[in-house]
Amino acid sequence: MAGHPEVELWSAWDLLERLERRGEFFVLDVRNREEFSRFRIEGRSPVPSVNVPYFEILELGGQDDMMDSIVAYAERDLAPTLPADLPILVVCAKGDTSLFVAEALRRLGFAGASLEGGMKAWGDHYAARPVVEEPGLAIYQVSRPARGCLSYVASGDGRAIVIDALRHLHPYLELARAKGFTIEMVIDTHGHADHISGGRALASATGASYYLHPYDGMHPIDVLPATIPYEFLRDGQRFPLGRRQLEALHVPGHTLGMVAFRLDDRFLFSGDSIFLRSISRPDLGGKAEAWARLHARSLRKLLELPDRIAVLPGHFSGLDEADESGRFAASLEDLKQRNDGLVALERLNEEGFVRYLIESLPAFVPEYVEIKRVNAGLLAPNEEDAATLELGKNACALAQAYAAASGGQL
Amino acid sequence: MSQAFDKLLDARGLNCPMPLVNARREIARIEIGQVLKVVASDRGSVADFQGWSKVAKNVELVGQETEPAEGGNVYVHYVKRTA
Repeated sequence: MAGHPEVELWSAWDLLERLERRGEFFVLDVRNREEFSRFRIEGRSPVPSVNVPYFEILELGGQDDMMDSIVAYAERDLAPTLPADLPILVVCAKGDTSLFVAEALRRLGFAGASLEGGMKAWGDHYAARPVVEEPGLAIYQVSRPARGCLSYVASGDGRAIVIDALRHLHPYLELARAKGFTIEMVIDTHGHADHISGGRALASATGASYYLHPYDGMHPIDVLPATIPYEFLRDGQRFPLGRRQLEALHVPGHTLGMVAFRLDDRFLFSGDSIFLRSISRPDLGGKAEAWARLHARSLRKLLELPDRIAVLPGHFSGLDEADESGRFAASLEDLKQRNDGLVALERLNEEGFVRYLIESLPAFVPEYVEIKRVNAGLLAPNEEDAATLELGKNACALAQAYAAASGGQL
Repeated sequence: MSQAFDKLLDARGLNCPMPLVNARREIARIEIGQVLKVVASDRGSVADFQGWSKVAKNVELVGQETEPAEGGNVYVHYVKRTA
């Protein structure tokens, strides 16, 4: 945009890079308070931030001219709070308003920068990281860092399987093109509640087959069958991956049709069963207690897998869970020591563990009922409604996972 | 539902913060007691006009409507000058 020559622009890539390497900066978020409380910038360590809606800045600045008003407010009310020696990233919904505010900060001598495309661009940003690249096997973890969603592209011989494709298709199509893969199978580990799946659409776009467990082909609260076409996933089913095979493990609990995938003794695509910091919640179908029991048994089954198997989860709750290369993965052995949910599972009997699950449930998210409808083909929102539905970070894990992840607020 | 108004501000196609910036300017140009009708295409304007009217001492939000239009909804805000 013209007219703000002094303002430094940070792309979503720049932001992710700084969050991952704990680059110090300060966030001035000028969206309204409800948006801020639902979705904010979080890093490996807490990102100091302050939220002042832009309409307050404009109005309370008290001047007729927009820039005069912003400068007046910033000088009088913001300057005492803002660090003089750190970059100040101004963020808004779409990246226009933040330009004006960042420019005002510049005029006052602060290192004001603007997030390009705003929180919309950050929420829609994807990153792909190799998990393994060796002859006969390649696995990439494709993440939406702002939402804590993880998906996977795996290939043995150029034919690729995509697991839990997220809403936008371009990351998968671009990765497949760059690596010379043909996407032949698209699998959803379960009917997702926190985000709109790209699985069915990716399969249609590439001519691939789309797989889902039939138990999740039913909306659990509406009790209505999915209208999208899918192939039935079943326990023990095997999918060729070069000379190896992916084996489906039916692990109901988070959903009735939850399926994890095992690749030999090396990798477990755990979907929403085991995450790194915690485990998934069993209440999103509205039957918390009944599903908690299934969850306990499924998790015990997964704990019998070899200790050295690397767990590749469907979500993370904080960027600090990533290793130095930005990947979210850990051995089962490691998780038995440090994963809250797995520690509780090993310590408690079934009754005790069910109680633990129920007591650890985060607030129910009403949008999740709607998102499940979208994923079953029962609803078809436009782009704007889709973006609003999945705004913010996922809440698929137990509450303990999020306690450590939220940043400091001034 | 149709709400009476004294002046119309067409803010369709404008990105945040311009619908609100222009509304602030127009409010200063109408008489106390008169109503400004703002038509915007930015969905974010709905929450923003609510928030603004709470902070500003000289306006009251007397109505909001969403109307289907070609190329997406338009969001209509009726803002009364009170001081």
